[in-house]
Amino acid sequence: MRRYGRVFREFFRACLVEEMEYRSEFFGNVISSFFGIGMALLTIQIFFYQTDRLGGWTYGEVLVLLGVFNTLRGCIDFALRPNMPRLLEHVRRGTLDYVLTKPVDSMFYVSFRHLVFWRLIDVVLGFGVIGYGLYVERYVPSVADVLVFLVVMAASFLLIYSLWMMLMTTSFWVVRIDDLSFIFDSFFETARFPGSMYRGAVRMVITYILPAVLITNTPALALLGKWSAWAAFAALVVALLFLWIARRFWRFALRFYTGAGG
Amino acid sequence: MIRKYIALLRMKYIEMLAYRLATFVWMTGAVTQPLITMFVWMNIHPEESESFVFYFMAVIFVERMTSAWDVWELDREIREGTFSNLLLRPLHPIHWAIAENVVYKWLFLVILVPVWAVGAAFWPALRPHMTGSQIGWFLLAVVLGAALRFLLSYSCGLLAFWVTKVAAVYGVIDVISLFLSGRIAPLELLPPRLREWSEWLPFRYMISFPIEIATGAADGGELVRGFAIAGGWMVVLTAALQWLWRAGMRKNQAVGG
Repeated sequence: MRRYGRVFREFFRACLVEEMEYRSEFFGNVISSFFGIGMALLTIQIFFYQTDRLGGWTYGEVLVLLGVFNTLRGCIDFALRPNMPRLLEHVRRGTLDYVLTKPVDSMFYVSFRHLVFWRLIDVVLGFGVIGYGLYVERYVPSVADVLVFLVVMAASFLLIYSLWMMLMTTSFWVVRIDDLSFIFDSFFETARFPGSMYRGAVRMVITYILPAVLITNTPALALLGKWSAWAAFAALVVALLFLWIARRFWRFALRFYTGAGG
Repeated sequence: MIRKYIALLRMKYIEMLAYRLATFVWMTGAVTQPLITMFVWMNIHPEESESFVFYFMAVIFVERMTSAWDVWELDREIREGTFSNLLLRPLHPIHWAIAENVVYKWLFLVILVPVWAVGAAFWPALRPHMTGSQIGWFLLAVVLGAALRFLLSYSCGLLAFWVTKVAAVYGVIDVISLFLSGRIAPLELLPPRLREWSEWLPFRYMISFPIEIATGAADGGELVRGFAIAGGWMVVLTAALQWLWRAGMRKNQAVGG
């Protein structure tokens, strides 16, 4: 475990150095991050111009939810998204062999080797929006709230990581990965709003089949003091289950790879 | 010219068939955002659910029929230098782009119209109530909207001769259009100030205006005024495109020659 921490720090450092060579890009990217969150806030503003509740959530609560959403998306863009096209290249060119001979776990390597450092701005902005939402709501989370928040947030990370890993793993068979991540993005967009807002079949799908709602709603509710220990525990169990499935799927795909590549 | 166009259309059609999966995926993606927004509005005003269903289904339809992606193509082609190859061909490159747009929109039409028809058979909310002239004006507005969006996208793409990050510039414009074209909300639900802006900027005429005609929200004087403003933007954008093209060619030769 310690070794993986060290390896991750090394990836982080290498990518940071790389990024610093393009410092002018950095500012453009920061501006675009601010622009993105500004537009998301404006959208919510327009909705709340007509109402004071969205699926039973108040304005401040929806802001907290948006903050959680932005944070999680920042994390995806930071670590997972930049690695996806590279895995595809590895599979296509057969250079995955090199990865497999490295003394670190291949799944760890392919998902964290390339980090896009400036995307962490979205994480910071996300926490900013969470803070602002709590301020609007006039709610100060208790220690227990924060602890539960950290647990369910960790569960959400694991869930998202597993979903992305499964998606990435399909690159052993599917050629155009851009399209796949586009599908993920459009489904993840549903997590921007309270799950209670959706109706009928859509609600069933995003609650149980693709747990988009679980991913963002539970952390937001935890921070607002509306958690139950049981739900937090369930989220963690579901996350570990997904991680296990993703892991199995990766192993399965590797078998396929050696089989095909020879 | 017509013969040339038929050849162009056929080529673009074959090209599109090669990327069937991608086309399908982009189509699915285009559906989610309006659907989510539809759920939001149905939640805010449950009593008007039916009209929101019609509105946002129409948004999906009109958005697909008017969408233009030429800015990304031009951005890539100019940056990578492949655009020069297009310049060597006997026909102005813009015709290739137009042909591509026509082919894709035709495909969307062929898929979406039957889907809508089946949907309308099951949900009365999807049945349009339009008179003959309304249908005519609606179709005209969609074509006009598609032309406006194409001109804007292509003009922005030409900026790639000067600016390196054109796609980012267009991204900003696209987000503004998200609000002012009626994709986030039917324009009547926007705060008054934004609504006023939407009347005068071109974005409303790319998506919302045709739908307003279909629902009967825009008729009589409003109809005339809308077409007048959209026509004005058409002239402005055409002129801008021509000017950018000429300036771009000079710039291109200066760099390349």
